[in-house]
Amino acid sequence: MAEDLVLDTAIRDWVLIPLSVVMVLIGILRYFVAKLMRSFQVPDHKIVKEGQVIVRARNLRAAANFIPPKSFRPRRVYFSNEENGLLFVPKGQAQNAQAQMFSDPNMAMDMMKKNLSMIIPQTLTFAWVNFFFSGFVAAKIPFPLTQRFRSMLQNGIDLSTVDVSYVSSRSWYFLNLFGLRGLFSLILGEENAMDDTQRMMQMSGFGFDPSKSLASEKDGLDIVQHEWALPKFEHRAEAVLKKLVR
Amino acid sequence: MAGHSDSSSSEKKSNEAMNDVPVFSAENMQNNMKVIYYSRTFMSIIGGVIAGILGFTGFMGFVFYFLVMTITSIGLIARAKFSVHSYVDSWNRIILDGFMGGLMSFVLFWTFAYDIVHIF
Repeated sequence: MAEDLVLDTAIRDWVLIPLSVVMVLIGILRYFVAKLMRSFQVPDHKIVKEGQVIVRARNLRAAANFIPPKSFRPRRVYFSNEENGLLFVPKGQAQNAQAQMFSDPNMAMDMMKKNLSMIIPQTLTFAWVNFFFSGFVAAKIPFPLTQRFRSMLQNGIDLSTVDVSYVSSRSWYFLNLFGLRGLFSLILGEENAMDDTQRMMQMSGFGFDPSKSLASEKDGLDIVQHEWALPKFEHRAEAVLKKLVR
Repeated sequence: MAGHSDSSSSEKKSNEAMNDVPVFSAENMQNNMKVIYYSRTFMSIIGGVIAGILGFTGFMGFVFYFLVMTITSIGLIARAKFSVHSYVDSWNRIILDGFMGGLMSFVLFWTFAYDIVHIF
């Protein structure tokens, strides 16, 4: 029996709107705090060098088809030559860089700071919501859900005959958490949104390992099959210039 | 759709070369993807508010969301003057990108507007 409950206007004024406003403001606050706390990391000389070599190799691979085969081959050999090619790293040195990366205190501090600035506001807000806004129906979701969601969405409401569409404020908090990401990316500009799931994925897959990427770049370069894509460009240039002159 | 055309006004050509092999300027394409993402987010928020005010419930609301997304896609394609391949590298990008992200914003604003107008 889906009869519409009539809910007190005071709920709207004092629960829904303040909760949304608070979450938006906390998001903005977090953005500015992160900006202020961003410590400048002195780049390590060797790592930057390796990074640049990788970028060069990648550019060569990407633009390989635009240079004639005769120029591509010596460039490739320069990179992947067994004796003194830039990308060839002896096995012994490979482990060193990784160990250094993880024991570097600055990097660990940075990661911890980023994690904390993400987790603390969420935890605090969640505790606040649970403390103040529990035990009553807060909102009605416009679409029907099955009974299995009842325990998740209606945690403070102890009547089991209430329609699952009427949810407590905890679920309003979660709805805000996910839905305001889009809004943040619009007002804060350029993906500084609250991408908590994306950031967690970034954190877990972080291990920047220069030696492994060198080896993979070398393999990639070896695989490239060169196809000279501009064989007729002299004719094309002539045609274009003729058109311009006319 | 003034806001729509404003945000799309900076779409740049990412495929200029008339080679046999298409070349993409990565920076321009990134810019285009950003514009597409912003347009979709904005439209899904507006669509959510409209759906809530009009009182759509259940399935009708999601149908409305697909409608809004389709209108956005058509608008973006028209903005790219129907030569999609000179702005992004595949059809899928301009049609499907940002679909799921927009869904959450849509649901939030739909719930919000629906509650404010109809329940309270």
